[in-house]
Amino acid sequence: MQKLKPARFLDPALDRTSIAPNETLSHDQLITWYRTMRLARACDKKLGALYRQGKIVGAVYLATGQEAICTGVVSLLERNDYFSTVARGLAGWFLRGVEPRHVIARWLGRDVPPSHGRELGLFFADIEHYGIAPYHNGSMASWIPSGAGFALAFKIRKQPRVYVAFTGDGATSPGDFYEGLNFAAIHKLALVVIVENNCFAYSTSTDKQMPVENVADRAPAFNIPSEVAFGNDIFEVRRVAKRAIDHARAGNGPYLVEFKTFRASGHGEHDDMGYVDADLREFWEQRDPLRLFAEYLDGPGGLGETAVKAIDDECTQVIEDAVVWAEAQPEASPDTVGDRLFAP
Amino acid sequence: MAKTTYLEAIRQGLAEEMASDDRVYAIGEDIGLYGGAFKVTEGLLNRFGAERVIDTPVSETAIIGAAIGSAYLGMRPVAELQFIDFVACCFNILTNFAAKSRYRWGAGVPLVVRGPCGGGVSGGPFHSANPEAHFLHTPGLKIVEPSTAYDAKGLIKAAIRDDDPVLFLEHKLLYRRVQDEVPEEDYVVPLGQAVVRRPGDDVTIVTFGAMTHTALDAANQLAERDVAIEVIDLRTLSPLDYETILQSVAKTNKVIVLHEAQRTGGIGAEIAAAIAERGFEHLDAPPVRLASLDTPVPYSPALEAAFRPSVEQIVAAVEHLVEY
Repeated sequence: MQKLKPARFLDPALDRTSIAPNETLSHDQLITWYRTMRLARACDKKLGALYRQGKIVGAVYLATGQEAICTGVVSLLERNDYFSTVARGLAGWFLRGVEPRHVIARWLGRDVPPSHGRELGLFFADIEHYGIAPYHNGSMASWIPSGAGFALAFKIRKQPRVYVAFTGDGATSPGDFYEGLNFAAIHKLALVVIVENNCFAYSTSTDKQMPVENVADRAPAFNIPSEVAFGNDIFEVRRVAKRAIDHARAGNGPYLVEFKTFRASGHGEHDDMGYVDADLREFWEQRDPLRLFAEYLDGPGGLGETAVKAIDDECTQVIEDAVVWAEAQPEASPDTVGDRLFAP
Repeated sequence: MAKTTYLEAIRQGLAEEMASDDRVYAIGEDIGLYGGAFKVTEGLLNRFGAERVIDTPVSETAIIGAAIGSAYLGMRPVAELQFIDFVACCFNILTNFAAKSRYRWGAGVPLVVRGPCGGGVSGGPFHSANPEAHFLHTPGLKIVEPSTAYDAKGLIKAAIRDDDPVLFLEHKLLYRRVQDEVPEEDYVVPLGQAVVRRPGDDVTIVTFGAMTHTALDAANQLAERDVAIEVIDLRTLSPLDYETILQSVAKTNKVIVLHEAQRTGGIGAEIAAAIAERGFEHLDAPPVRLASLDTPVPYSPALEAAFRPSVEQIVAAVEHLVEY
């Protein structure tokens, strides 16, 4: 099996092992974002355990290692901007107010909105309450044309809103990616595409997925701006994503940002990642987004170790309580299986 | 009332909905400046502007995807596929995304996907499809195919007002060959309701689209021999109006299911099975299916005529049933 070579782990120009903001941020902001990321990490850890206990049937897909990207990007959005992501963007859901207990209950197949047992916890959409848009499965890029449609509605209604489509390196190969971005670029739609390049599409490394070094290298085909940045540094994520969001909101059309990151768990928990070289794992473990953020908060961020530890403990407890609540929820009644195909 | 063609009726219905509801817009390839490959949207760009009559690149998935996204925000997109054959290019986003969305999240997609279907015009293998069976097997999607100008207008308006995705099949053979008196005042033909086009007591023909006219031609011939055919025009193919079908079968006791799409796995199989399950005690003969051959649609007039069901085949099938 061919492994990714160390030179390809990360462009040295993007690499860093410590982080710091270049904007003035309050302790409240820092705590909110760190807590969101920590909550997602704790939730993922628990979801993995529930899967191994056989309580989550089917499969479970985690976001471990990618928490900084959705947290940083969603922290920049207005409330009436919309975005879509699978559970790889779990922290983004949390930042919008989605509760861990509901996420866990959905993974357990319980009768909770909006799916009432009909959909995996992997997918979540609730436009009305959270501004989180439906996310497709099938072609792993169909939310890019769909996202263009959201942005088209903004344009028709003359609303200065932005739609952010989170996606991965793998989803930039299907034709939907090209059709959606091409259409959005022609009509100058406010579509921001955030590519979380986590090195693998399931087991297939990026060098087997694309003939270019970066996903962003594909952007010139659409005549849209693009950037490559380090995705495990929440401050860098905010710096770069802000340019993208401002560009789109100003009516200049789509913008593509590729964040280099690493999927620290398998494609799903059924995947033992035997295809990932130990050096690669070790490299990214040193650059884990929560580790980097915690080290900043411990040190120059001025929160101190005790405060950080208190957040960590609180998140663990929130998740423990969430599991108790979720397990107590009923399953959907079999009588409802045929319901909700069409509008009442 | 003035006579209006099937094509003009669709245009009128679309234009009326666009005029009365600013959420309605049209999107597709060559629909603006050019007015559409068949000119269904001719004049709409001048009347409603480029933001509501949107020309797109050759990207069926982008067309349907963008329509879906905007529909989530309350818009009422009417997406044209230049030929309905191209629905294969956006099959994924239409079936896996639009059709499942309400079931997955309670998020409705008020979307109309419309386009010319059907053969009889030497369109060949890529411009003649009747794709309803693919979508009959897709829960969450409605399918409509009018056979008259009156229904074409009433059904397109009902489809646009519907809160769920509707595949609206326009038989291209009928675009300019069929015309009716079409009211100027607002009306809709509700989805899900078949209609008896011609009453008769001897044999029921269940059909839709262009084949409705073929069935009526056969019924006229048979009437001269005192065989009374009841022709049911389904109008909506999903959900099916089984009540109208079963009522007719209870009266005639003999039934032909006629459609232009290929026979195997076609909508006729589903309807015949349902009649056997739910109306068996009314049947005096096995249900008969008449459909096109199980091949791609051939180009040359001679081959296409051999491919599609004909008046002669219908007459022969009726004779068989009458003698059964």
